[in-house]
Amino acid sequence: MTGPRPTRPPRPGRHPGGGRPADGPGLTPPDSTLLRAGPFSWLLPRRSALAAALLLPLLVLLVAAGVVVSSAGTSLPDALSGLLGTGEPGTVMIVREFRLPRLCVALMVGAALGVSGCLTQTLAGNRLATPDIIGVNEGATAAVVASAAGSSTGMVGHWWLGPLGAVAAAVLVVLCAGGAGSAGYRVLVVGIGVSTVIGAVSDLVMSRENDNTAGGVFLWAVGSLSGRDWQVGTPLLAALAVLLPLGLAAGHRLQLLRLDDEVTASLGVDLRRLRAAALGLAVVLAGLAVGVGGPVAFVALAAPVLAQRLCGPTRVPVLGSALTGAALVVAADTLGRVIAPVELPVGVVTSVLGGPFLLWVLLGPDRTTGKV
Amino acid sequence: MTDTPPGLEVRSLHAGYPGRRIVHGVDLTVPAGQVAAVVGPNGCGKSTLLRALARLHRPESGTVHVAGSDIWQAGRRRAAHLAALLPQSPRAPEAVTVAGLVRYGRHPHQGLLRQWSREDERAVHEALEATGTTGLAAERLDQLSGGQRQRCWLAMVLAQHTPVVLLDEPTSALDLGHAVDVLELVRDVAAAGRTVVMVQHDLTAAARYADTLVAMKDGRVLAQGPPRAAVDQALVKELYGLEADILPAPADAAPLVVPRPRPRPGGAAAVRRT
Repeated sequence: MTGPRPTRPPRPGRHPGGGRPADGPGLTPPDSTLLRAGPFSWLLPRRSALAAALLLPLLVLLVAAGVVVSSAGTSLPDALSGLLGTGEPGTVMIVREFRLPRLCVALMVGAALGVSGCLTQTLAGNRLATPDIIGVNEGATAAVVASAAGSSTGMVGHWWLGPLGAVAAAVLVVLCAGGAGSAGYRVLVVGIGVSTVIGAVSDLVMSRENDNTAGGVFLWAVGSLSGRDWQVGTPLLAALAVLLPLGLAAGHRLQLLRLDDEVTASLGVDLRRLRAAALGLAVVLAGLAVGVGGPVAFVALAAPVLAQRLCGPTRVPVLGSALTGAALVVAADTLGRVIAPVELPVGVVTSVLGGPFLLWVLLGPDRTTGKV
Repeated sequence: MTDTPPGLEVRSLHAGYPGRRIVHGVDLTVPAGQVAAVVGPNGCGKSTLLRALARLHRPESGTVHVAGSDIWQAGRRRAAHLAALLPQSPRAPEAVTVAGLVRYGRHPHQGLLRQWSREDERAVHEALEATGTTGLAAERLDQLSGGQRQRCWLAMVLAQHTPVVLLDEPTSALDLGHAVDVLELVRDVAAAGRTVVMVQHDLTAAARYADTLVAMKDGRVLAQGPPRAAVDQALVKELYGLEADILPAPADAAPLVVPRPRPRPGGAAAVRRT
């Protein structure tokens, strides 16, 4: 402030409710713990931290269960010795080469889907705006399916085409909706349309395959982690190591979207850049997840909704969505492996469980935005 | 003018949209610690001018300096340290508390490594005190009256700690009592050394609370100066096409604008009888 010019004396206490001195710490966000060190300060949201502290052991438990249980039946000591490499060579190989890598890929696919859904839902201000529904997953699926077409080996397709297909679909949706800044509702409606069109293309490609080669693609196209190992797990891990921190940073700033655009902009935020960056992150994450695990349904819808319940209505729960998504995919994949005599793809399990969940979301009140 | 730069200095500002120019060459100087009120009919370019001052709408040409710094040369974040905007009837986050709202004002001063400094705390405290909302800090914003809410929004803008404060019709949704409260508050803000530019529809209120009146029509400034000199019958006629009486207020001789009824085909008496 520049030099004061006392034209009128201030009148403290003139307003009702005024005059009571505020205690300093009382102004710190009450839902967070303040950490200060020199010029640095951090706010640790307590409820989100608690949610993470509960979800992490849950993930460890789920992975442990995934290592142990299977339709073939492995005992706990057997599985442990397999994990440590001290058991029978056959068990060691099953646990180390097949189950553990697949579980790790499941964790990463779930985390990517969860974060992607959280970002798109926040951007659109609508819980239904997930990569499944706005056409991004269909784009990724179509790209991978197309790459498998004509192959005689029954290959699944190139996983890395997933992000490219996702980006192409997102660009198409944004162009049709008239810009990334347009209303979330419009993106949603256009996305449903684009999604249907691209889905039809995928179906057409698959229906022209002969029965022998289409099997692998068809299985993948409902969402399956069958046979996934570190060959895809390593590049996925590298991508997530970059994208997840960016997602966390974006989520931190996206909390400002709860204000008017004009207010947010006058607080020094480049809204167009923030929205474009968050959308880009969400699309690439969803594309990676779909490229690797197929279009696993409902995880991107359910994980952020559940994470929001855990972390409280004022947060953009990026970390919570990652952990919840990871837990959902690992649990669904393991369930699919043990529940039926023939393995159920993870996408079928999430579809069966996701339908009722979607109804609950549609019928329940929206705590985050007040919109359906 | 002294050697310190004025709070706000606008030089030949032209702004608009492709194919349609809305603000034509506005010049405006507001010294620090003063209130300027921009008045004029709907669509005269007041809001576009305010948006250009707030760095929300890029002008075609011209400059905006706040305390000597060009806000369109400064980065977006730096500009948020220079000028704060309170839009007309902004939407609040659902279930936000008063303190929560005011904390948003500190965003330009924060970062991932600096999320809640002592300075943030002090600024929020001072903003609540200045607006008389300290006692409401823990209340939910949506449970307050319109007048209280507007004071809380003002507190948010003050917490941003900018030399220039821009207000878009800050009293348009308020009853007379609360409108006066907010306008007095605007005076206090200026008295504390900040420069205030507000768009104001009520000419009488603008004349009473502003140091400088800026009358705009069709994107041009028609008159600019101390309200007592600027407000006259000719100005009201030119701005709104209205005949009006300008009376000195009995209390302080501030100009009161009392519009005369427009002449009607049937005559005023005929209308009154029906």
